[in-house]
This record gives sequence, C-alpha cells and structure tokens, in this order.
Amino acid sequence: MADKAETATETETANNEASKLAPLHSDTTPAKWVKDNLFNNIMNSVITVVLGVLVVFLLVQSFGWIAAEEWEIVRVNLRNFMVGQFPSDELWRLWTSGFLLIGTFSLGTSAMAHNAYDDANEKGLVAERSSLLNLLGRFWPVLAFITLIVSFSETWPPVLGVIAAAVGIVVARLAGWALVVPVRSRAVPLMAIGTIVSLAILAGTGGLVALTAGVIALAIAASEFSTLFEGSDSKSTAIRTGGPIVIGAATLFIVSSIGFDGFGWEDWGGLHLTLFATVVGISSGMPIGILLAIGRRSELPVIKGFCVVFIEFVRGVPLISLLLFSSFILPLLFPLSVETPQTLTRAMIVITLFSAAYIAEIVRGGLQAVPKGQTEAAQASGMSAAKIQRLIVMPQALRAVIPAMVGQFISLFKDTSLIATIGVAEFFQYAAIANSQPDFLGKGLQLVTYSIIAIGYWSFAYTMSKESRRLEVQLGVGVR
Amino acid sequence: MLERLLRLAIILGIFAVLYIAFWKVRSSSRNDADEPPPWRDSRVLVVAAQVAALGLIWSAADYLWANFRARTADIGLELDFGFLDQPSGISIADNPLNSNAAIREALIQGVKNTFLVIIIGIPLALILGTLIGIARLSTNWLLSKIATAYVEFFRNIPVLLVIVLTWTIFLNAFPPVRISWLPFGETFIFNNLRFGFPSIVGGTNFGTFQIIVALALIASAAVWVWRSRLFDRSGTPHHRVLYGLGTFVAISVAGFIALGGPFDITTPEIIDRVYVGGVTMIMPYAAVMLGLVLYTASHIAEIVRGSILSVAKGQVEAGNALALNSFQRYRFVILPQAFRVAFPPLINQFLNYTKNSSLAFAVGFAEITGVIQNLFGQSRPAPQLLLILMIVYLVFSLVLSAIGNLINKRLQIVGR
Repeated sequence: MADKAETATETETANNEASKLAPLHSDTTPAKWVKDNLFNNIMNSVITVVLGVLVVFLLVQSFGWIAAEEWEIVRVNLRNFMVGQFPSDELWRLWTSGFLLIGTFSLGTSAMAHNAYDDANEKGLVAERSSLLNLLGRFWPVLAFITLIVSFSETWPPVLGVIAAAVGIVVARLAGWALVVPVRSRAVPLMAIGTIVSLAILAGTGGLVALTAGVIALAIAASEFSTLFEGSDSKSTAIRTGGPIVIGAATLFIVSSIGFDGFGWEDWGGLHLTLFATVVGISSGMPIGILLAIGRRSELPVIKGFCVVFIEFVRGVPLISLLLFSSFILPLLFPLSVETPQTLTRAMIVITLFSAAYIAEIVRGGLQAVPKGQTEAAQASGMSAAKIQRLIVMPQALRAVIPAMVGQFISLFKDTSLIATIGVAEFFQYAAIANSQPDFLGKGLQLVTYSIIAIGYWSFAYTMSKESRRLEVQLGVGVR
Repeated sequence: MLERLLRLAIILGIFAVLYIAFWKVRSSSRNDADEPPPWRDSRVLVVAAQVAALGLIWSAADYLWANFRARTADIGLELDFGFLDQPSGISIADNPLNSNAAIREALIQGVKNTFLVIIIGIPLALILGTLIGIARLSTNWLLSKIATAYVEFFRNIPVLLVIVLTWTIFLNAFPPVRISWLPFGETFIFNNLRFGFPSIVGGTNFGTFQIIVALALIASAAVWVWRSRLFDRSGTPHHRVLYGLGTFVAISVAGFIALGGPFDITTPEIIDRVYVGGVTMIMPYAAVMLGLVLYTASHIAEIVRGSILSVAKGQVEAGNALALNSFQRYRFVILPQAFRVAFPPLINQFLNYTKNSSLAFAVGFAEITGVIQNLFGQSRPAPQLLLILMIVYLVFSLVLSAIGNLINKRLQIVGR
C-alpha cells in the first residue's frame, strides 16, 4: 500500500547528483574492476563465490523450467490476459482509442520537451534533447513485456498493431517537435482532449456519452485556443464562459458513464481493465482528496473532524474490507426504487474513496511544505481565501507532491489486483481463470500464468517508479 | 424523506436564529458601532459554515441510513448480534473448533490467527529488510546488485501475487503427505499440506525449571547492568553480551542437570495420518508468512538504505578514524542514528503489513478476513460481520501505531 520511503528517494536524488559530480575513472581495467568490486577482501571473496554459485544455479534452473514448461496456456489465453471478455467485433474501439491516446501523448510530451529545450537554451543552460534511445532506456520494461506478449500471438493483427503503434509514436514525436510555438504551449489541454475523445470512442454507446465527451473537448478547446487568435484578455472571458460548460458537461459525463444505464465496462477485463481502474481511481480520487486535505487543515472543528475521521478510517482498514463493503453493504445504501449498480461500478466507488484518503495525506504533506510566508504575503495583498488556495498555495503544494502521487498511482495499480477477490475478472484473476479452463484444469500450470502476470505488473510498476524518480530530479523536489 | 429533511431544516434554522440573536444582543450591549452585520461577521460565519456542514453530513447519513433500513427490511435482515451464538458451520484448519462451535469462537480464532501472522512476521520482515538494505550498500558489486534486484522485483508486484506465488511454489515444491520430505534424520517434516519442526516437551519438574530460567534471565540482566556501570565508571571493557549470556547459560544448564532433565526434545511424526510431537504449521500459514515477509522486507530495505545514506558522512569517517571495523561502525555509529530516521516510515510499513495480512484468505488461511468471508458464504448477516472486521483492523492499527509512537518519542533526540 502507500509507500512512505521518502527518505530513500530523497537520498537517491542526492546520490544521482553525487555520481554526476564524481570523476570518471578511465584507468580501470576489467581485471582491476573485478578485484576492486568482487574480491577486495576475504569476506567479500567468500560472499562473491557463494552468491555466484547460487545465481548460476538459479539461472540454470529457471532456464530449464522455461524450456520444459508448457506455454500453450499463455498462447490460448493471450486475449483474456490483455482485454478479458471484450466483445470481438468491438475490438476496433480498443485499438483506435489506444492509438489516439498513445499518439496525443507522444505529440504532447514531445511538444513539452521542445518547450523545455527552448527554455533551457534561453537561460543559457545545457539543453538536452531527448532521443529515441533515451526513450527506449526509460520504457524498456513495458516494451519488453509487449514484445513478449506479441511473440505469443498466433495471428497477425496484434503484431501489425504494435508495429503501427511504434511507428505512430515516432511520427507523433517528430510532429510534436515540429509544432509551432503557440500550439506547442497548449500541450496539456491537447492531451486532455485526446484522453477524453479516446474514452468516448471506447465507451462508445454513441448518444449521451460521446456527446458529452465532445462538449467537454470543445469547451476545453474553446477556452484554451481562443487566446491564440485574440488578445490575452479574452482568456479570462473564455474561462468564465467555458468553465461552467466544462463542469456541467463533466458532471453529465461522469453521471452517464458510471450511472445506472451502464458504461459497458462489465464486459471489460484483463490488463486493460486494471490500467483503466487505476486511472479512474486516481483521477476521480484526486479532487476529493484535495478537498479532504484542505478540510483537514481547516480551523473549523466540525469540518476538520469529519475529514480526519474519514481519512483515518479508510487508511486504518485493509482495502479488502472496503471491497467487501462495496459488494455486500453498498447495494443496501441505494433507495429501493433504484436498481443497484453493477459490481465493478461499486468497486470503483470504493476505490475512488480509498485513493482519495491516501491522496489527501499526500496533498496535506505538500500543503505543509508551502512556507507560511506565502499565505501571509497573499493575505497582505488582499486576496480572498479561495484565491489564496487556488493561485498561491495549491500550485506549489501540488508541484511538490507529483512524485508521491506517481507512487500512489503505482500502489493503486498493484492494489487493483484485489478486485479479483470480489469476482471482477481483471488481469490477476485471469491467471486463475486460465487454469480452470477444461483444457488446463489440474495440469498445475499456475506458475506459468502467474509468472506472465508478474512480468506484466512488474514492467509497468517498475517503469513508473523509475519515471517518478526522474520527475523528482527534474522538478527539483527537496533540492534548493 | 422530505419530512425528515424539513424537520432538520427547521431545527437548524432555529439554532441559526438563536445564534444570530445572541450575537446581536452581545454586540448591542457592548454598544459597538463598528460591529459588522452578521452575514459579514467572521465569528457568525464560522459557526454558520459548521452548522451547514453538520446539516449536510447529517442529512446524507440520514438518507443512507433510511435506505439501508428499507433495504434490510425488504430482504428480512436482522440487525442484531444474536447470530454470534449460533453454530458457525465452518471448520478452521489446524484448530480443534468444529463446525458446531459458535460463530463468536470462530471469530476469536480468526483474530488469534491474524495476530499469529503479525507477531511472527513483523520481526522477521524487519531483520530481512535491514540485512537487504545494508546489502544494497555493500562494496561487493554482486551482493549489492542481487539486493537491488530483490528490492526492485518485490516492490513492483502486487502483494496478493507474492502470497499466491509463494503458496503455488510451496504446493509444487513439497511432496504429498505419503512421501513427505524428512530432512536431518527425520527430525523435520515437509509436505504440501503441513510443515513439522522439532520442539521441546516438559517432563517432571518442568515448572521448577521454567522458574529457574526466569531467574537466570533476571540474573543475566543484573550482570548486564553491572558490567555497563563498571564500564561507565572505570572504562574497563564491559563484554556485557558475553557476561550476560554466560550467566544465563550457566544457570540454565546447572538447573537442567540438577533437575535431572526436565524436558525432552520431540520430533514430529505422522502416525496413522495424525501428526504427533514437535510443532507443526499448516502450509498456507507458512506461505502467507513468507510472502508477506518477502514483500514487506523489500519496502523496509528501501527505508533502511535511505536512512543509512542520511547519516552524515563525517560520522562514518570519524568511525574509520577511530579504527572501528565495519561491524562496529554499523553497530555503534551508523545504525543507531539511521534507526532514528527510519522509525516513523517503519511503523507505517508495520501497519501496511497488518493490513496486508488480510490477504491470507486468498490461499485458504483462516485469519479474521478468511473466517468472515467463509461466514458470508454461509449467508450470515454481512453488515454486522463487516463492522466487526473493520473494528478488528482499526484496533490492530491503533495499538500498533500507539506503540510505535511511544517508541518513536523515546528515540528522538530531545531538542530545545
């Protein structure tokens, strides 16, 4: 669950800097390196020999196991692992939304990288242009996992799809770098629009959901891009008119999507559902978590008390008990006249509240890190309390907690495996499902499926944790 | 529904009017012309906001409670705790309780099992995590890489997967009962259902012997204190571990011989499918413990590593200058300081361990969550059982964090 190894990551940062400053030893030969790092005293020599034998033994054993084991079960269940029981003839939605998401994010991040590059050049700093090789170094675990999965595929579409995605990423990055400055500086809303549209394609009930998604996208576009053509004054007008539309449409979107007519996500499954549940859990937990964090710092005892009790209660009980709550008690809290929502929807409600409580504690840490002088200065200049929070405190607090938020994302990603226990067929659950199929029942292939699942979880979580450390260095959290 | 809300609104309204009137009276009695109107008076606004918040929370709770009562009445669910005395209908592995025992007893057994997982697992995780954290900082390249690989592997997969994985590996690695693996001259038993270890069994005079052991402990503590004081006074090397242990062993052995062997060592055996002698544990318990310990140790290792790195470099150099060897440097200079930094996040890990122990049911170990899930399967009333479950974990969490905070307070350097 939540990792509080902040000390560890902080020192990691310090370490990275130290290694940058350290002189390069160009005079080490392999023999000298071995002597210095493996056999520098008797104790270390013994450790090296024992561990070396152990490692070789384990490697031989695992290669033997990989060669001997039946991997047919993975081949047959490949689609189950990835997307569960997603209807076959609707798979194009997954591909399209996936391409759109990957495309806009490559475009957006590349544009942002170009902005940072220009910024650094302007300030006379050493500007580093990130290369494809750099990207490969950062995302190799995910790429390796996708390659592994694709290599199991018996048909061509997944292979072609992955190749197309790879080409798409390269093209989108080049395009993002080539964008003109005014468009480039709107990379974030661009990515938001991409996300919403791809969600709409995925949800795809046509009518209401797609409509509201379209309205949101348009509103964001209107409020963000109108400034391109007019003076800077019009931005506030655009926000004033666009804001309510966005909020209204977002509410409609959320209600219609998690609402009782169904999002269609009961048919979702596999890794796709795991990733989606994580994203929904964090992004819908975020606003609630921020409110709870502000409430906990409030001077009004009733509001503070409520927030403290809620946060401490949710953090004090295991997620599994909350999921049991969602499956046994939550249906009883809806009025008799209303049909109770489906299992996954109920689980998502609980996961949202769960992540909100953890996010609240993270945000509270960020709020405490904002010096008091900031608030006092804002008060002295006559800002209202809401404005101080929105314009002065929150931006600084949220910037400071981005790495911790990524950490929370990782732990929620891992924790979503628990929704398997209330009967939702997500990624983890398919290991057991595959072994209960008539073809594989009683063959003892659990280790095969679990190892594939483990590689899947590991590749995503490891990549994200490396990214969060990179972000930490980039943002200079804890470094002055 | 509407009626309830109306009633609430009226009550809140009366309170608000009374409150504003109170302020008006006070301000008029003070005769203060600069007094702001009540809707701009922060003293009034503060209370009004809280009353509004209370009303909102109250009406939400009231609404949900009304729905809850309507639904439970609809399906005929009783909301009392009378069911606790009914026979549970479940049997718990490794336990004399049969399915006729009351639900109450099954729940107590579940809490005991949870406690067993926690009390043995946390020290193990702490020891393993500390060793791995130190190993990551080793000058030996291979050792530090293996430790890094361990940490990065276990930190990045779900704990549920770790538990299920250890269980699966145990299930496949150990033979079935009839061809149990009996290493070290049949003193141990390992099969895919149960592990057995040698143990001691009390004979005649065992009670007296226990008293003697307790006395030996007290005596060795006294010797420890004496050696420490001597060291403080005169600087003679204290060797208090040697002296203390020596005292304890000498008295215990003397007692053992004098009482003519008050206990015997028994080894586990399977006679007619029943385990006799030694101590045995069911395989799921061992799997859950190992899985949780491996997972938690990877997080503890990161904390330990970070806190060791946070010890000022001058401290290590000073230790080197005093010609301390690497064990002494860790024991007397680095670890005491690192532990102070590491303790608050460690408490957090212990809390996480406690909460993660709820996943033991996934491999069929009947700790409290497992027992309650079984009872759900027997269609026992879910609301009450879930309430009990949550309270149990809240109590565990509260007790653990209270102990942790107490120790933490004593550990911290007293500042200004």
